[in-house]
Amino acid sequence: MLRLVYVILSGLIGAAIVHIAILLLLPAYAERDAWSRLEQAGAPNSFVRLPETASATRGARAPDPFMAAGACRFDISESGVRVLAPEKPLFWSVSVYNRWGHNIYSLNDRTASNGLLDLVVVSPDQMIDLRKDLPENLEGAVIVEVEEDIGIVVVRVFRPDASFAPLVDGFFDTARCEPI
Amino acid sequence: MRIPFYVALVVAIAVGGGGASVWFALNAIDGLDTLTVGAWTAYPESGTPQVDPYGRARIARDGELPLGRAEGLYFLAERDSSGQALRRQCRYRLEGGVPVARFWTLYATDRTGHAAPRPQPPAAGLHSRQVLRRADNSFDIAVGRAPEPGNWLAVTGTGDMVMVLTLYDTPVANGADARDIALPAIYRTGCDA
Repeated sequence: MLRLVYVILSGLIGAAIVHIAILLLLPAYAERDAWSRLEQAGAPNSFVRLPETASATRGARAPDPFMAAGACRFDISESGVRVLAPEKPLFWSVSVYNRWGHNIYSLNDRTASNGLLDLVVVSPDQMIDLRKDLPENLEGAVIVEVEEDIGIVVVRVFRPDASFAPLVDGFFDTARCEPI
Repeated sequence: MRIPFYVALVVAIAVGGGGASVWFALNAIDGLDTLTVGAWTAYPESGTPQVDPYGRARIARDGELPLGRAEGLYFLAERDSSGQALRRQCRYRLEGGVPVARFWTLYATDRTGHAAPRPQPPAAGLHSRQVLRRADNSFDIAVGRAPEPGNWLAVTGTGDMVMVLTLYDTPVANGADARDIALPAIYRTGCDA
């Protein structure tokens, strides 16, 4: 009897260790995280529309039906990347994520100069070069310095009802994500 | 003779219990750092590099890209103001106002991912630009399967549901105190058998 209690107790301690181990290792081994899905969806430095359905895992919720989102997976190991949109929808917001889907920078149309999306993502080294001599066409752009070479830029646009769909499609058709 | 059996039992409890508890925890919560206002819960740290391990694991598993602080903040409600779980076959009334935000959206979903993947019209949801308000800027929203006059958030089907209220471009996302935030109360007005 005492032995059985001993066995169950050691089992529970083991369960706690396994719990912590799985929890900490899960992000590193997740095969369907945001980055892996975008990797399948398209090449780096190009815009892809994000699906508007929930992922099929338990615990996932459907995304906001009033928001349309596009993502651009970037690699700035050679040169910075510029995300540019010439159109002004009702509301846009943009977030820069690292490879693990953690938000490292975000802004919206009220914080951008003249309300247009113009974001440049660079590495610290490229930032030093830009500080020395800022190209004329980058004036007015929001320049963000990120530590890691790879990451994701996500642009979200408000779509109050279906009649705004052409406007939103036009926004994502003209939006570009290109190396500078 | 009995030693291998005991060792096997210890390993079974450890692996089974550890795995099951992680699975259960990630289905039940979005994270540990919560901002709770009445029936609503938000995770302001979700998706930032300061996120707790549970939030980190859930984001990775569900492939989520959480809203940044300049974008907005979502609040989840799984229970009404009296503490009972929200059900699709029941009718609810949301009453009150929301904190300052450029606009907000409200929709009903669930945690299963496949049962009701995307709300379909007329069940898509409501947003602040289509809501009728009272003179003091507060509002009243009826939630249920049958149409109601005034503001109506349509839901379909049966089973549990989660209501998601997202505030876009709001100062609340930048570390507000729960005592300074007022969110709508959720009252259950009846259920269909």
